[in-house]
Amino acid sequence: MSHSTTPANQPNSTSTLPHQPHVLVVKRHHLLVRWSHWLNVPILLGLILSGISIYWASPVYQHKPDPNTGNFDVAADIGIWICAHVPGLHHYSSPPDWIYNHMSLGPGMLALALRLHWLCAYLFMLNGMVYVAGLVLGGGWRSLLPRRTDVFDALKMFRYYIGFPFAKLIRREWLHPLFNAKYNALQRVAYFSVPVVGCLSVATGWAIHKPMQLHWLAAIFGGYNAARVWHFWLLWIYILFLVPHLFLVFADGWDTLRSMIVGWSTRVQPPEVIAHDQ
Amino acid sequence: MISKENRNPSVAAKSVAMKKPESFFAEQPPRKIEMAPAHLHQLTRRDVLLFGAGALAVLAGGGFVLPQVTLWRLGVRRNMDFPGKEWFLNKALCVDDDVAEALYSGNRRVPTYSKSQITPLKNNYNGVPPDPGYIFGWNLTLDGLASGLSISLDIRNLTTRFSMHEQITRLVCVEGWSAIAWWAGLRFDDLLRAYPPMSQAKWARVESSVNLDASGNPDPYFMSLDLATARHPQTLLATHFNGQLLNVDHGAPLRLLVPVKLGLKNVKAVTRITYVAEEPRDYWAERGYSRYDGI
Repeated sequence: MSHSTTPANQPNSTSTLPHQPHVLVVKRHHLLVRWSHWLNVPILLGLILSGISIYWASPVYQHKPDPNTGNFDVAADIGIWICAHVPGLHHYSSPPDWIYNHMSLGPGMLALALRLHWLCAYLFMLNGMVYVAGLVLGGGWRSLLPRRTDVFDALKMFRYYIGFPFAKLIRREWLHPLFNAKYNALQRVAYFSVPVVGCLSVATGWAIHKPMQLHWLAAIFGGYNAARVWHFWLLWIYILFLVPHLFLVFADGWDTLRSMIVGWSTRVQPPEVIAHDQ
Repeated sequence: MISKENRNPSVAAKSVAMKKPESFFAEQPPRKIEMAPAHLHQLTRRDVLLFGAGALAVLAGGGFVLPQVTLWRLGVRRNMDFPGKEWFLNKALCVDDDVAEALYSGNRRVPTYSKSQITPLKNNYNGVPPDPGYIFGWNLTLDGLASGLSISLDIRNLTTRFSMHEQITRLVCVEGWSAIAWWAGLRFDDLLRAYPPMSQAKWARVESSVNLDASGNPDPYFMSLDLATARHPQTLLATHFNGQLLNVDHGAPLRLLVPVKLGLKNVKAVTRITYVAEEPRDYWAERGYSRYDGI
């Protein structure tokens, strides 16, 4: 990300820097934001694993029972396919359970899975409140607000990330789009969307957990059955977010990871300020 | 003073430049702090160590609540089923049951549907359906009444003495599937008025003595129902399903239909209702499910 051309002309901030062996740091994340961020790891893992175990009891995606096996679950079909085609799995003892044995707590444990799901769900809601409290106390919520230019800028960032490995391969210069904020537009879209998805997961969860007392909530999502489908697909948005999130954090380096553990970052200037005098 | 400042162009420009990012919603520039590298290093080391300790604690705690079968698959060969684990998970269930009870309102009706929205309802008997022979000598026994008597009612008694109510409601199973079905029967509330329970009663134990397990052996089904829910106007003792008399699969001749509860509370072929002061045993609660089951 070092594409600075001219040195910054900043009379207010950097000129007062005394020439001592001191580093300038900024607080990037409030303590409560950091706590809730990391607590999401075990809580979401528990929710996803127990959730797929609950899914096993009555899969959303079913077909007519197979005349030979009696199987009607699409997830079991995928397991059967994996065991038939992936080398080393040909002798797997119960191919229909492969998905549930590897992506959930396991098949046939609805009561246990429900208990863990409720436990994690209440913790997830509490943790969400801690996160919001941290955003408010630290003022970090302002950095997450979408901006009018975000859609276009996010596409530019997306193009940058997609093109980056190819540019490296052919040794072409590939400039990081400039931005003058804590997050670039793609980050902002992602970090704003994930809490929204969290709220939707909680709302659809309540809609299918209490479809009678909260029938108006189920109706918002198109009824009880539709709310189940919503709840299922919202899970995949976390995974869709997590894969590039993990990859990019490690690609970005220690400073970014440290800022979520310790709170401090030594990146005191947004890249655009370094590159442009404005 | 103010006019003087306004005449000075450099001050005016400065104030505008400073005001611009001060909108309430605008991102504010981060406050830069000078720090000795050693101090930053020290803070980093402290927090990373704390973070590592926390991660280990969560790993241990998470392992503690996981089911034994899952731990076994993860390679844990030790028995992790401590009594504290049951207690902890039951506490989580109790919290959820308390929330469900707080959400319940006796005045809130569940949604009703039109006949065109009816969906198939599978026979979800826990075991094999009972032999229909029981229907001919069937009686409903009421115990724990204010009168102190034990009352036996046959199906003619029930259908002729009480007014019948129809409703098309959704039955939701704990497994996640649901079905919209057309039911008719008497209101549980009307039975409670005709045969009042003893004054200290808060619960009904609803049971079916005819249930069988998967291999056909007797497996009586019993379930707890709070009287507040029993009094709900849409809680029926159903005799009809989709316009016809209940068949064996759906709990002939009388089943409990309580749409504000999970399907497992909707006892088929009810043979006895006992009113009690303390929460009675519950078939599925003894198998790890929650006991209030309000939805």
